[in-house]
Amino acid sequence: MKVHLNAKIISAYGGYNHIIELYHRIKNSSDNDIEISFFKTTWFEANLAAVLGAIIELLESEGKSISIIEVNNPNTKDILKRNGFLVDYGEESISQRQQTIISYKKFNPNADNEFINYIKNELLSKPDFPKHSVLLGKRINENIFELYENARTHGRCQKIHTCGQYYPNKKRLDITIVDMGRTIKNNVNEYLKTDMSSSSAIQWALKYGNTTKTGNISGGLGLSIIMEFIKLNQGKIQIISSDGFWEYLRGETQTNILSNYFPGTIANIEFNLDDEKSYKLKKEISLDNIF
Amino acid sequence: MITKRLIVKDIISIDTAVSTDNGDAVYQKIVEVLNDEHEVILDFKGISMMTTAFLNATIGQLYSSYTSEQLNKSLKLQNVADDDKILFKKVIDRAKQYFANKIDFENSANNVIYGS
Repeated sequence: MKVHLNAKIISAYGGYNHIIELYHRIKNSSDNDIEISFFKTTWFEANLAAVLGAIIELLESEGKSISIIEVNNPNTKDILKRNGFLVDYGEESISQRQQTIISYKKFNPNADNEFINYIKNELLSKPDFPKHSVLLGKRINENIFELYENARTHGRCQKIHTCGQYYPNKKRLDITIVDMGRTIKNNVNEYLKTDMSSSSAIQWALKYGNTTKTGNISGGLGLSIIMEFIKLNQGKIQIISSDGFWEYLRGETQTNILSNYFPGTIANIEFNLDDEKSYKLKKEISLDNIF
Repeated sequence: MITKRLIVKDIISIDTAVSTDNGDAVYQKIVEVLNDEHEVILDFKGISMMTTAFLNATIGQLYSSYTSEQLNKSLKLQNVADDDKILFKKVIDRAKQYFANKIDFENSANNVIYGS
């Protein structure tokens, strides 16, 4: 069976909905040999390679054999070769002369230091990373690590898929982290013994102090810290889990229901690099008797 | 009282204190020293970045076995970057709340199960 990707696929409700619909079409097909065609695609936002890669891995684990074909648009082909996504589909890897690329990678959830090294190599060491304050850079990286730890802890997945992209003109950095384990809706409803919708469960999970952890390691901070930072930074956060789509963008929250469920969680964060706030603390915190 | 210095960077062999697993490794070292009734200096020299995920495991987890009083007496933090101190405060406040709720939750579960 051959399935076509749409002409323009961006990190917005329509883009995610399309990739998730594609997953269900392939999953429900009786044919096990599947060709995903980029024939019509003239624009594919690079960070979404993490989403496509994650669903392909899942479909392959369910017995499908997937190939990517007809990546004819030169820009799309170039970007997906440079970020390494097409390497698994027979394309040669090419050097990243273009420093706006953040490679597509899959991580075993137990390999925490590998992800640290990936972020160090892909973000911290790039000479063309747009100018920003040292403290802003530190906060961005901390937020990415918080998000990754969240995926590791709550997803219980085989692999975590990540990819990103700088947009130098917009002075924005997008990073997408996908885990294909449990959904936020499952985790929250199981913990609270409720029947919340996906969007309500996502909203619950983002609130300070809310956690589904039950062991001796406390939680409930990571996502709320990311939210707090994104608000100050005037960035964007999108979370897709089960059939819920949740987005925060410059003071506005938008929720929506997807046509089909996503069997995991996609988190896409867009950081604003054109941010001159100092991020310095208003008052000194003493560590004496802090406990 | 004997004081032992634990250098975080040496324990986790990396300068970024961000993962729960590495946080847990540091927690285990702290517990070893505290159980020997020694004082701990937890030294963050050379750590360039940290997360609440790491600190939940290293510091927050201590509240499962120790009180604030015990920790203030036996655990000192050194070489923490000024802009990271807020993360300690957040993690400590949250851990106190989390373990207080956990005890309430377990007590109410015991009441239901054992009728006490």
